[in-house]
Amino acid sequence: MPKSVLRRERVLSLLPEPLSDRALEELLSISKADLESHDPETLTISVTPDRLDLLSEGGLGLYLQGATGAAKGLVRERVADEVPAALSVEADGSVRPIRPSIAAVLVTAPDGSVLDAGLLEEAVRFQELLHATVGRGRRAASLGIYPYDRLVPPFRYALEPVANVRFVPLDGSEEVGAPQFFREHPLAQRYGAFGRVGDACLTLRDAQGTILSLPPLLNSRTGGEARVGDRRLLLESTGVRDRTVREMLGSLLVVFLSRGWHVAPVARTSDGTVVADGRDVFLPRRLDLLSEALRSLAGTSYTAAEVERRLARCRFGAHPHPGGWTVEASPWRPDLLTGVDVAEDVILAEAVDPRDGIVPPSRTRGRRRPEARFRQQVATELLGLGLAAPYTSLLVPSDAVARIRGASPIRIANPPSSEFAYVRDRLLLSHLELLAHNTRHGYPQAVGEVGPVVARAPEHETGGETRYHAGVVIARETAGFADAASIVDYLLRSVDIVAVREPADLPGTIAGRAARVRVAGEPVAELGEVHPEVLTGIGVPVPVAWAELDLSRLYPLLGRRDTD
Amino acid sequence: MPDASDGASDGAAPVALSGPERSVLVALRDAPQPPVEEEELARQSGIAIDQLRGSLQRLRAKHLVVVEEEPESLRRLTPRGQDALAHGLPERRFLAALERHGGTLAPDAAAAEGLNDEERSAAVGILRRRGYLEDGVPFRLRESRPSEALLPDEVVLKQVANGEEEVDEAIVAALERRGLVRTERRSIKRWAPSEEGRRLPLAASEADWLGALTPAILGSGVWKDRPFRPYDVRAPVPFLTGARPNAYVAWLEQFEEILVGLGFEEAEGPLLETEFWNDDVLFMPQDHPARSIHDALSLEGIEGHLPAEDLVARVAAVHEGRPLPGEDTPIGPGWGGPYDLKVAARPVLRSQTTAVSARFLARRPKPPFRMFSLDRNFRREEVDASHGVEFTQCEGVLGEEGTTLRHLVGMFRSLTEAIGVRELKIRPSYFPFTEPSIEGYVRHPRLGWIEVFPGGIFRPELTRALNVEVPVAAWGIGIGRLALVALGRNDFRELFDDDLARLEGRGA
Repeated sequence: MPKSVLRRERVLSLLPEPLSDRALEELLSISKADLESHDPETLTISVTPDRLDLLSEGGLGLYLQGATGAAKGLVRERVADEVPAALSVEADGSVRPIRPSIAAVLVTAPDGSVLDAGLLEEAVRFQELLHATVGRGRRAASLGIYPYDRLVPPFRYALEPVANVRFVPLDGSEEVGAPQFFREHPLAQRYGAFGRVGDACLTLRDAQGTILSLPPLLNSRTGGEARVGDRRLLLESTGVRDRTVREMLGSLLVVFLSRGWHVAPVARTSDGTVVADGRDVFLPRRLDLLSEALRSLAGTSYTAAEVERRLARCRFGAHPHPGGWTVEASPWRPDLLTGVDVAEDVILAEAVDPRDGIVPPSRTRGRRRPEARFRQQVATELLGLGLAAPYTSLLVPSDAVARIRGASPIRIANPPSSEFAYVRDRLLLSHLELLAHNTRHGYPQAVGEVGPVVARAPEHETGGETRYHAGVVIARETAGFADAASIVDYLLRSVDIVAVREPADLPGTIAGRAARVRVAGEPVAELGEVHPEVLTGIGVPVPVAWAELDLSRLYPLLGRRDTD
Repeated sequence: MPDASDGASDGAAPVALSGPERSVLVALRDAPQPPVEEEELARQSGIAIDQLRGSLQRLRAKHLVVVEEEPESLRRLTPRGQDALAHGLPERRFLAALERHGGTLAPDAAAAEGLNDEERSAAVGILRRRGYLEDGVPFRLRESRPSEALLPDEVVLKQVANGEEEVDEAIVAALERRGLVRTERRSIKRWAPSEEGRRLPLAASEADWLGALTPAILGSGVWKDRPFRPYDVRAPVPFLTGARPNAYVAWLEQFEEILVGLGFEEAEGPLLETEFWNDDVLFMPQDHPARSIHDALSLEGIEGHLPAEDLVARVAAVHEGRPLPGEDTPIGPGWGGPYDLKVAARPVLRSQTTAVSARFLARRPKPPFRMFSLDRNFRREEVDASHGVEFTQCEGVLGEEGTTLRHLVGMFRSLTEAIGVRELKIRPSYFPFTEPSIEGYVRHPRLGWIEVFPGGIFRPELTRALNVEVPVAAWGIGIGRLALVALGRNDFRELFDDDLARLEGRGA
């Protein structure tokens, strides 16, 4: 769950009255934000991935305005009175192969106001959060915040030879060449691949050639540093898709528009031609909410007034039409794809009481899978034999695999640790681990389990096949092949099957003391005495007999007359 | 003739008696009126009292005899008391000296009469209290003194010496304080054979015992003439371990039966899935963070394949925001990028049982339908009390005309009540494939509110791509977490406990 630490004062400053901690917790408990902890200065908030806007002080403040009734309806964008004529951003064709999308807006502080330290901190923190989430670690898109009044439009986004680029990095004091920057700077080492192709790198410059930034890495200090006291800021996003770029920029706008800042479009041009006027970044999106769709999702018939009240509370604009409403949504709500997304907001705008649930009468007949019943039956037989019944993981440690020569389970490419490094292809791997963990308890020890394994199966759609095995290990001074064989015989007899044992070389067993069991030619079980090398490796001081039935293979054979 | 006395081992502990123990037990069993006092038993049996006592204690430890104990108090004269009885109490001797000296006696003359200072002091005090002496010195007999021949203390001293029980307790207490009388307390033990002691066969000699019952003994009939060596039925026996159902597995099966009872049909799917079924069909964007190498477990050396082309085309259309094949209007805007077939074919370990729901719906079940799948899933998580790399989900779908969010909430409530959990709360949530999305929380006594019921109504992008025409409520219960609540466990890792001692129910 995305999480952030917000300044309490900045959130509550958007409300007309103070809000107690209890009231805050209650309001958030019916939202997609969770108050994880708080102190007099901060609120630690986590949110579901679709409501990142609630991780900005401005976004959370707007939600609380709606929830407390302090303000309702859509946050109307205030378009700046004057839009500079040359305000545009040109995406050079050279960027198309690696990072073709760019969008920008101009935001202006309301009269008598400027960028303050709190707003700058909030914007930068939220920018980084968006980088990590929507921007997929800057790979999909990134954001830039620039001091418009110290720049000269139009702006140009291009791919330039690295050797020709020099700038003062935002966190530096001296001009450096791009080659050095890419070689040494931590951000370049981490994200450099997204802003460079071969000997060229992405740049964003103003009309005078001043470098604003090297997208998506770092702003220039001389041309790209927003500072306290600035009145106008250029917000820009570059990325691999237009839609992601617009989402990033639209989301960042919540920080400024919640504080009354004005917005102005920045046109996008290509080869000197305007391809978009830039209003799509901040204009409300329109979605259709149909009354019938809302009713059929909610299971409740809301009155029109109730729907509109809830829409207003959720900070939507609503325009009724014969079948429902045209709903206007702010640009920081990219989670809203269609009418069902708006319906969710309406339905969940107020607390859902479990007592309102309807228990639907069943018009179907329930049943377990016959194969699952069969597995359950075998597990009961194992219990009847007095075998302890563990529940072991499908994933096994690399040590467990290493000690069985010839075993070839599927290896996990990105294991979280060596404890979960392979997908077992036989229960033996797990059961030897279990014996290794239990040496302190003395002997005899006997274990039986029915559980899944995954075998390689190139012909299958997924490249593997899930099978269920019944596995047994018996560790005691007199354990031997006959113990394993008698259990296999017993289990097969319990399902009226007589099988044939044949010698086999099986990983982890003593040569000459292992067998494969076939039914109607199908191999359905393996068994044997575990090799002393394996036992000494896991510290088990007594012999171990092992048997494993492939229940997935056995099940289709049940009831066949030709199995003798 | 089989060797019947070798006590062939059958694992039990025989009752063994020494010769004296056997003799004492025989004497007790022969006693005409048990219980019998130790002294009486010693007399009857001719066994020395100390040896008899030792044997009785050992027989008692073997539960073959029982004992009654009666407390008893016995007063006796001390040597000093016996001396006083023979020669007179100091006060009697002082009185006699006074009378010899005409009723008056100087203090120094008292010493000449053989009374030491302590005796004289005690005698003077007692005689004054009894009214025999005037106050002051020299000591003088009172004119009007008592005329009894014996002093009260002399009477009681004689009574104690005679073993009388009806005595003046206050005077006895005074005589005890003077060191003339002593009270001894003891218990009288009376012994009798216990029920086991009566029944215990007593062979003439060790060689007569029969040990374990063997086929040879059985066949020979020797058991008709010779007693079996009895066993100490209280002796420790070998520690047996038994099998018992795994508590977690048993609880999962119980939960499955609840769902069957609610009309749900079980489904299964592969643990190794392609991203197509694990994510794409569920309308999860192909660049969704949950699909990254940081969250999903991918596999080495395995290649997946795509299912039927028409299904892939429909899923690709909703991802790209295009109309479904044969339709004019897209369901929604999709995810704004090209759909990558290579990504779709990548195999992963299944991260959610919703993939099983997708496979179930792709078979186009006839409404109404209810399906559940309780199975394992895998995510690249940090292991802690409420998270594991492997976890079990209970997936469920409910498809029928008129299915709404309220039905989903009702189903959560039903399941909660069915497992005996009382508190449930619902919060908004988010899943890429459901809208609305909610999450049901139940209260764990130690972990607090934990989310266990994630669910929602499947998005049209999912159902329509699979040609499902009715609304489908779906959930993926975190069944392991629910088990923590239901089984009273505190840590997710306990569910995978492989400690055999605990699994066999004999502690760690």
